[in-house]
Amino acid sequence: MTRRRIAIGFCALIFIDTWTQISFKLASRQTGEFMMNSHWLRAAAVSPFIYAAIAGYLGAFLAWMTLLEHAPVGPAFAASHLEVVTVLMLSVLLFGEHLTAAKLAGAACIVTGIIMLSLSEARAPLPDHHA
Amino acid sequence: MSTLATAFWLSNIVLDTAGHLSFKAAADKKAAESGSWLRMLHSVYLWIGIACFCLEFAVWFALLSLIPLSQAVLVGSINIVVLMIAGRLLFRERLDRLRVGGMILIAAGVALAGGAI
Repeated sequence: MTRRRIAIGFCALIFIDTWTQISFKLASRQTGEFMMNSHWLRAAAVSPFIYAAIAGYLGAFLAWMTLLEHAPVGPAFAASHLEVVTVLMLSVLLFGEHLTAAKLAGAACIVTGIIMLSLSEARAPLPDHHA
Repeated sequence: MSTLATAFWLSNIVLDTAGHLSFKAAADKKAAESGSWLRMLHSVYLWIGIACFCLEFAVWFALLSLIPLSQAVLVGSINIVVLMIAGRLLFRERLDRLRVGGMILIAAGVALAGGAI
């Protein structure tokens, strides 16, 4: 797999994960707040966005397995979590959510932490059975 | 977060961690027995993992119906930290300084975003 294809794979994974979270939120806007009754469950079952989220879960799983086979695990790990950034941006743009200073500071800490974990993964020797 | 949202958040952490650990156990068993992917379908761990992820899907959706997406995706990042601690305890996975630093930063970020600080 060429570097270019790996980069496309990373972008695809972030896109799919973002898609899944946005679909979840759109579905929950149709169902309203969680209630332990059949009405809420039925509303969830007929929301097309729930199926978009399920498709996203399956797509992310396939993309992740393909990436792990060909790409270094460090960057792959980062790509599988950096949808935090895109989801935050879209939650403001699509849903008008308000990002407080505390949330932004928290997001900065989390993203830095994820990058540190990826650097550590990239350095780690591969286990024998993956060699 | 409300009590109900906190309960969903905690359940999400437990299910996500249990799901990943079960998959890991299934994969380790496959490697140890040099079995095929098809034989892995007989693994109890694999099915426990799948059940955990299905339940996690429902719990995450319920959580998202209660709190803003931006907050959910931030506080949900704690799963990474809990999973790494569990991997260390159960599978003796390596924790170097960079990793511990990253985990502390993520935990601090979750506390900030969740309103605990």
